[in-house]
Amino acid sequence: MSDITIVGMLMDNLPSIIGIIIGGICIAVGVHFVPVGGAPAAMAQATGIGTGTVQLAAGSGLTGLLAAGYMYMTLSAAGTPGITEIVLICATGAVGAMIMITVTMLVGNWVYIYGVGVPPASAKRDYDPITGDPQAPYVAPGTVGQGIPTVCFVSGAIGGLLGGLGGSLIYCMLMWVNGDPAISSIFAIGVFLVNAVLPSYNIQGTIEGFHDPKFKRLPKAILACFIASLLCGIIAVTIPSVAMLTGGS
Amino acid sequence: MSAGGPGGEAASVETANQVDAKGIGIGLVGIYIAAIAADADIPYLIFLAGIGAVFATKMGADAVRRVCSYGIGTGVPSIGMLALGMGLISAMFGLAFGAMIGVSYVGPIVGLVLAIAIGFVVGTLANKIIKLNIPVMERCLMEIAGAGVLVLTGLSVMIAGSMDFVVISEKVITTGYIAPVFILGALGILHPFNASLGPDETQDRTMVHALSCGAIAMMIGGVCSIAVIDPVAGIISTVIGLAIWYVTFMGFVKLVKRDAGAGWVGTGLLPPGAM
Repeated sequence: MSDITIVGMLMDNLPSIIGIIIGGICIAVGVHFVPVGGAPAAMAQATGIGTGTVQLAAGSGLTGLLAAGYMYMTLSAAGTPGITEIVLICATGAVGAMIMITVTMLVGNWVYIYGVGVPPASAKRDYDPITGDPQAPYVAPGTVGQGIPTVCFVSGAIGGLLGGLGGSLIYCMLMWVNGDPAISSIFAIGVFLVNAVLPSYNIQGTIEGFHDPKFKRLPKAILACFIASLLCGIIAVTIPSVAMLTGGS
Repeated sequence: MSAGGPGGEAASVETANQVDAKGIGIGLVGIYIAAIAADADIPYLIFLAGIGAVFATKMGADAVRRVCSYGIGTGVPSIGMLALGMGLISAMFGLAFGAMIGVSYVGPIVGLVLAIAIGFVVGTLANKIIKLNIPVMERCLMEIAGAGVLVLTGLSVMIAGSMDFVVISEKVITTGYIAPVFILGALGILHPFNASLGPDETQDRTMVHALSCGAIAMMIGGVCSIAVIDPVAGIISTVIGLAIWYVTFMGFVKLVKRDAGAGWVGTGLLPPGAM
């Protein structure tokens, strides 16, 4: 127990700290891609999903974490996962998060289209950058768009991918350090939330996707999340596993 | 989403320093008495850790109230999640640090100090790099992160009946009780202002609501601890939580009735960019 020193753990786990920083930045970028509409979107008065950034990021991140955790369990049966396995685990997490966010957008769109009775349209662009469809005629007067048009949907899927990737990467890095799934996952959630909330302040709560002018604020969020993830990473890798504390049982 | 748009400093009867002193003081004292008593084979006092968590919840909710009355644009829940995100990292590090050096009693204090440091860094990042420009941001995030640590540590100590990282890891984290602790702790901090916000928001009503949310977390923590440690101690915690909840919730209802008779208060127009 006495040979666990904080400095030693920091030096040994430098790759894990770098991984946590990369994961944190992936989450920060991912938040900027997800079409978050907030309360106005919940009333079909703005484009995007009608809830806050954190709920969406946490939802997709946790789904990704579940998927990644399952994959980790399967792959680690053969031994400690290496780089190849970690790529697979992160891909699984990314797909899990993408499924969650796309299902949310799809069902949300059903509600907007068939329930509220509005056509999905973005007020930020006159023409959809992907399909080229005109948007302005479909934006209801007095609103800033409604529903989730194609470009937002694609952007949201990319956001889910990055969020899931970042979350699973952090989880894998922590598993490398302490090997305890419970501590790693709860810690990954903590790091994930810090990195999801800071960018959400950057976009002031709402964004439509990569075509939104607010997307240009991305570098500020990357810088902020770099510092925050560095701090979280340094703390996270110094937490030993229970097995290390009790003398490796 | 602050309905009143960017407001200003929230009007307070009880100052921030008073709330913080009570939150940190009662929080730490409760956690320590509970843990020391539990280590001396008297598990019946663990409810004190829950009471500490209730007051820490109030401290967090007051900080949320002050920072969110400026209108942070992302909805109040985000800051509660941030609180518990920072709190979780710090609380676990604090407890693990205590286990590493072999003195588990330093855990909550190390966690609290670390949380205040992380809160300061994140608050500075939010103000200086993201340019939220909220004057109370750094201080409020320090308080919120500190409250997150005390809530998490308090409820974890209450469930596990010990301050030892190995015991908490085994009885709270591996069993999954950390999930209700996490989300109920976050709800206690974010929900009171989220539910009470508006131009007619008053501090005493929000605070009494925070106490009642904290009591719900304490009650659920008590139920969890029935299965993990001494059933009698768990039932004592649950019943005390229930009693605190009843008293504070009735107080909340009374204040709602008081404030409901005050007539209407103008909200002003939504600020540009709010939509």
